[in-house]
Amino acid sequence: MIEILQLGWHTTIQDLGRFGQQSLGVPISGAMDLNAFNWANKLLNNDPNDACFEITIKGPILKFHRATYITITGAKVRLTLNKDHIEMYKPISIKKGDILHISNTTVGCRVYIAILGGFQTETVLGSKSQFKGLTFNDRIDKKSVIAINKIPFVTKLAGIKAHLIDYSNINLKVYIGPEYHLLNTSSRNSLKIKQFTISSQNNRMGYRLNEKIKQQLPEIWTAPTLPGTVQLTPEGTLIILMRDAQVTGGYARIFQLTDDAINLLAQKSTLDQLKFEIIRYKE
Amino acid sequence: MNKTLPFTFFKIHPKAILLEWQQEPNSDLLHELNCFKEKIKNHFKEFSQITQGYCSLLIQLKSNIENSNKINNELILLHKNINTNKSDKISKHWSIPVLYEKLFGLDLEYLSIELKLSTEKIISLHTKKTYNVYFIGFLPGFLYLEGLDSRLFFTRKKTPRLKIPKGAVAIGGKQTGIYPDQSPGGWQIIGNTPIKLFKPNDKKPCFASSGDTLSFYPVSFEQYTVILNSKNQSPYLKSKK
Repeated sequence: MIEILQLGWHTTIQDLGRFGQQSLGVPISGAMDLNAFNWANKLLNNDPNDACFEITIKGPILKFHRATYITITGAKVRLTLNKDHIEMYKPISIKKGDILHISNTTVGCRVYIAILGGFQTETVLGSKSQFKGLTFNDRIDKKSVIAINKIPFVTKLAGIKAHLIDYSNINLKVYIGPEYHLLNTSSRNSLKIKQFTISSQNNRMGYRLNEKIKQQLPEIWTAPTLPGTVQLTPEGTLIILMRDAQVTGGYARIFQLTDDAINLLAQKSTLDQLKFEIIRYKE
Repeated sequence: MNKTLPFTFFKIHPKAILLEWQQEPNSDLLHELNCFKEKIKNHFKEFSQITQGYCSLLIQLKSNIENSNKINNELILLHKNINTNKSDKISKHWSIPVLYEKLFGLDLEYLSIELKLSTEKIISLHTKKTYNVYFIGFLPGFLYLEGLDSRLFFTRKKTPRLKIPKGAVAIGGKQTGIYPDQSPGGWQIIGNTPIKLFKPNDKKPCFASSGDTLSFYPVSFEQYTVILNSKNQSPYLKSKK
């Protein structure tokens, strides 16, 4: 098991998410940066859906009560195991009683910790991803004691080179959304040219942007949305829906982020800059 | 007669296609969407899931769509062959107990002034109607209901409340609905139900599904407390008709 000696800022359990439950209004959830999450599991030869820790901005201090292996990916952090510095994107051998310190993030804002065989927490509607009202806890708290599996480590994937996203890139690739055609030319141009700032209202549900679009679009009859849908509110505010977002919405859907762009945005936080780059489908 | 309504296609994601009907939501459209949904589910091998809005369906597939035209044509054909006269699904009716009272209906007095209707009139207009359960969205177990009396239409709050209480029965524009859990939201709250709308660990987490009908009935504070604390709430969901 793992003990939480000190809490970070916001740490949750995440896997690939809940599928097939969206007609009950259940969000997909799952790791915000799926690229970093996937690599964390891959480097340990885990199952692709094994549950990881998702750490936001400030890491917790963890104590391991069983020998195992872990891998840490995502936003750049300084890692200390007992007193030794350890590396990201590498399987790390953990001995019973080891204490792991994770510094604040320096580039990016979300860190993933995978453990051999995945964290053994409750499964609700086919997923371990924590979500308020579904799982017993909506985040890791100080009382959390998390079970881990005892399984042998197969080293065949050790040493593989992970594909990293450049978290300093500010360009988000988007497809045009169903209500994009309602925008006039000047609004379209400002969406293409303008650099936007992420407001302090950003979390796993969605990111609000500071700059407003002058044109006002009417509300629509509530319609399906996806993680990565960019909404334009009647007040001209842009909201980018993320992994925990509601499955339907009543605001105009002007863009849809590519899956990679969602992963990139997941590593951005308050006051970070971004630009939209429209791309077309390859068919 | 088997008459179906035209729709448009929009590729919204490499793996997802959005179908939209350009019209106001109504019972006929809802019935057609539900018939079409069943056809679509059975048609695609690579099918992942389908979500619904008032006038739209979102089809998500497991792999990238390589040929949109081909899929669109398949959908047109499927749509042509749906028989809206026949439906395998039996729709159910649910009665929801509501405590319409100032302390719980936070906006009841405000609406009474703005709509120039007594609170008694608001309650009677809200309970007299039978609503269509259109779809479930927003939050786990949030039922989107259609059929609100036009005298109760009222715009959403400009600034949404940060915390709407669990079970709040509310009006938002031309819609009415119930908040299954505490959440932020901009609808006007007129009452509260003790019924649990979403039980994630149950086999059927939400009792209602798209195509069912629903109505509200008023209860006293004492009845509310009894229902809230009862282990089996299903007797209170039974039709009063």
